[in-house]
Amino acid sequence: MPEITHPGTGSTRLRALKEQGVRSVWFLAASFATLTVFFILLFLLQDALPLFATVSPLEFLTGDTWNPTGAVPSYGIWPLIVGTLLVTLGAMVIAVPLGIGSAVCLAELAPPRVKAVAKPAIELLAGIPSVVYGFFGLIILTDWLRVAFDVPSGESWLAGSILLGVMALPTIISVSEDALNSVPASYREGSLALGATRWQTISRVLVPSALSGITAAVILGMGRAIGETMAVIMVTGNAAIIPDPITNLLSPIRTLTGTLGIEMGEVAVGSTHYHALFGVAVVLLLITLTVNLAALWIMKRIRAGYGTEEQGRHRLRVPGLQRKARLIVGIVLALLVLLILPLPAAAALLVLGAGAVLVHRRLSRANVQHLAFALLWASLGVVLAVLAVILGYIVVNGLPAITWEFLTQPPRDLGRAGGIFPAIVGTLYLVGGAILFALPIGIGAAVYLSEYTRGGRVTTAIRAGIDLLNGTPSIVFGLFGFTFLVIFLNFGVSLIAGMITLGLMILPTIIRTTEEALKSVPASVREGSLALGATRWQTIRRVVLPPAVPGILTGTILSIGRAAGETAPILFTAAVFSTRFLPNSLDDPVMALPYHLFILATTVPGAETQQYGTALVLLVLVVGIYAVAIALRHHSQKKIHW
Amino acid sequence: MKEHDAIITVNHLNLHYGEHHALKEIEVGFARHKVTALIGPSGCGKSTLLRCLNRMNDLVENVRIEGEVRFEGTDIYAPEVDVVEIRKQIGMVFQRPNPFPKSIYENVAYGPRVHGVRDRSTLDAVVEKSLRDAALWDEVKDRLDAPAFSLSGGQQQRLCIARTLAVEPEVVLMDEPCSALDPIATAKIEALIEELKTRYTVIIVTHNMQQAARASDYTGFMYLGELVEFGDTPQVFEAPREELTERYITGRFG
Repeated sequence: MPEITHPGTGSTRLRALKEQGVRSVWFLAASFATLTVFFILLFLLQDALPLFATVSPLEFLTGDTWNPTGAVPSYGIWPLIVGTLLVTLGAMVIAVPLGIGSAVCLAELAPPRVKAVAKPAIELLAGIPSVVYGFFGLIILTDWLRVAFDVPSGESWLAGSILLGVMALPTIISVSEDALNSVPASYREGSLALGATRWQTISRVLVPSALSGITAAVILGMGRAIGETMAVIMVTGNAAIIPDPITNLLSPIRTLTGTLGIEMGEVAVGSTHYHALFGVAVVLLLITLTVNLAALWIMKRIRAGYGTEEQGRHRLRVPGLQRKARLIVGIVLALLVLLILPLPAAAALLVLGAGAVLVHRRLSRANVQHLAFALLWASLGVVLAVLAVILGYIVVNGLPAITWEFLTQPPRDLGRAGGIFPAIVGTLYLVGGAILFALPIGIGAAVYLSEYTRGGRVTTAIRAGIDLLNGTPSIVFGLFGFTFLVIFLNFGVSLIAGMITLGLMILPTIIRTTEEALKSVPASVREGSLALGATRWQTIRRVVLPPAVPGILTGTILSIGRAAGETAPILFTAAVFSTRFLPNSLDDPVMALPYHLFILATTVPGAETQQYGTALVLLVLVVGIYAVAIALRHHSQKKIHW
Repeated sequence: MKEHDAIITVNHLNLHYGEHHALKEIEVGFARHKVTALIGPSGCGKSTLLRCLNRMNDLVENVRIEGEVRFEGTDIYAPEVDVVEIRKQIGMVFQRPNPFPKSIYENVAYGPRVHGVRDRSTLDAVVEKSLRDAALWDEVKDRLDAPAFSLSGGQQQRLCIARTLAVEPEVVLMDEPCSALDPIATAKIEALIEELKTRYTVIIVTHNMQQAARASDYTGFMYLGELVEFGDTPQVFEAPREELTERYITGRFG
């Protein structure tokens, strides 16, 4: 950035210095994310490596028994890896058809009025805290499964998959819908003008054109499912076994995240078991990083692709190759299905598939379309019904618990009586601190990325850092907070440790939404200001930031909602189950609503009313915050026209 | 005009976009196996009228259409009419080339495929014939599997014409098909239009009066949603009946 300066005039030199200083501050903020990723990896590895003095890496990864507290401890995480993969696979089987179906329905079929209701509803589904999903799963879902399949317990692989599938839906739906909306309208017109039906247009032109975006959506949803902790702990039964036979959906199962959530709180710091848990965290982090990088890579290709048809030239492959690739994918999938399913089930599936193809050929085009549209509407209907059932159940059962005492008194008798006042206050403290910590850094980083840099290696590294931080499972933040803040910096289990851990977790969201808000301010506005002789920082502060405020605010509010609902990061860093007192200083541990609900639901019998009450308060708090953010975004989108 | 052998007749056609009255009492017939040009300044409704003829305006929100459009005697806006069938018989080429992100072959084969053709050799034959009819075959016959986006703009537009012909329509609607093309590509398309009228009815919307004068048999001049004048192309250009038409074609407004 060459500056025209007049040497000798003190004020210009001062101004240049000031510009340079401002720039450096924002650069530091942006680097922070990258440094955090580096520190997370460093501290996890540092705590994981001593394990390999006792256990070989191969034994650790492929050993089939996880029993670190047995008389002869054994540290094989193979069942945990298999458990994670199976639960995720099941979740995807549920979420992918429902999610893509709903996205197509929203993008192509739904009239504006339906869209106006369904889209915010699906965003709310994303806002429900995972511990509330877990609570619903534990109380309702596992019970349904127990009765439906007549088994002793419904806590199972199936329960975990259903719950994770529901949790992955919002991501899959919104990213797929964006991909479908970015398909040029001329494709649709071109196809319809040739006499194709709407369904033919959707299935042969629109969906194939949006395929890479839809793939990215599925991978992102998968990342969310793999990294989820609390809901999984609450419904999968947590037995570290590989289902026998492997297709036994009703077998209990245990995931990598679940292991961390359950055992980290009780392990002796520095023991082999402790190191093994960090080893688990490293494996988990590697899996999620791979998944998220894959999604990022695909998304980047789309962004390079669609814009204009000129660019499309480089993106498209020779169709012959595509056909081959499709064949290979088909064969691999078929083999996988055959491998996993027992023979009769596989045969049934094949017959069903062949039958569907035959029926498809027999039906008229109009009837195929009727059938397809019915299925698409059904998938959107199922998604909305799930939301309604979860919200309805918790509201109906929670309302009777809400009394003045419940909201203003500390708990008594292990939460069976009294109220949840300290938990409400603790959650507000935690969230407030996290925002105070993350907001300045996040906005600074976004300003640097959007206004001061166009590329280069350092920027690429910073962006990669932010993306990786965004894909890091919340339980890994919890572990990092524990080893770095609680142990290494000797903060102890405290409010401050929880605030920083939550702050780190929401940092990427704040950076991303702020950057998007800044980017939506047109370049001509900046040029106008610069052409009047304003400095870069003056331009940013007076012209670029003000119109971006609603966008930044939306991102902040979404982050507040996320921080308020998260359990895993504060599990080992800040939260205690019961204190009669409010925290007096940043060094005190606190109660928090999500943690309180988790403990009430999993370890305190006879507190049903309080469970529902706590779930309702948490839900209202978080969903309320999300609703404000959604309304705000809607409002600002309407108002500003460039 | 109505005494001619008209393949499409339009009676009392009115179209509103919300509050905006975009087409007013349009009465016109389009002659079989002839080229009819619709001219007029921007926003006069010529593209809107064109899009009424194969019901592409159905896709626009808030649109209200009254009156009749009869294709071979059938009102295409009658409730029992299958819009998909109408579009199959009345094809459309758009202002900007809009090939699908598929290969050249798949673009042309798309129409026959959606209409139920599965046999590979039939498809091959249709693709070749359509590309030949669109005067594109010699340029692409060695790279049918190449992506459609690898073609130049003019080639892409001829591909879109080939794609339309592959469905074997009766009528081809063209919405300013040359406005995104250079003069050489435009000349090729105009030559192609001349070829097409032996077998198809062509209705073309154009901004370019020379193009209308060169390529069409009949010309309609539209202004502010009304069809001001309609007649033989030489008559409209050499001895316009309406003063408005004369002022437009001599460039005194617009």
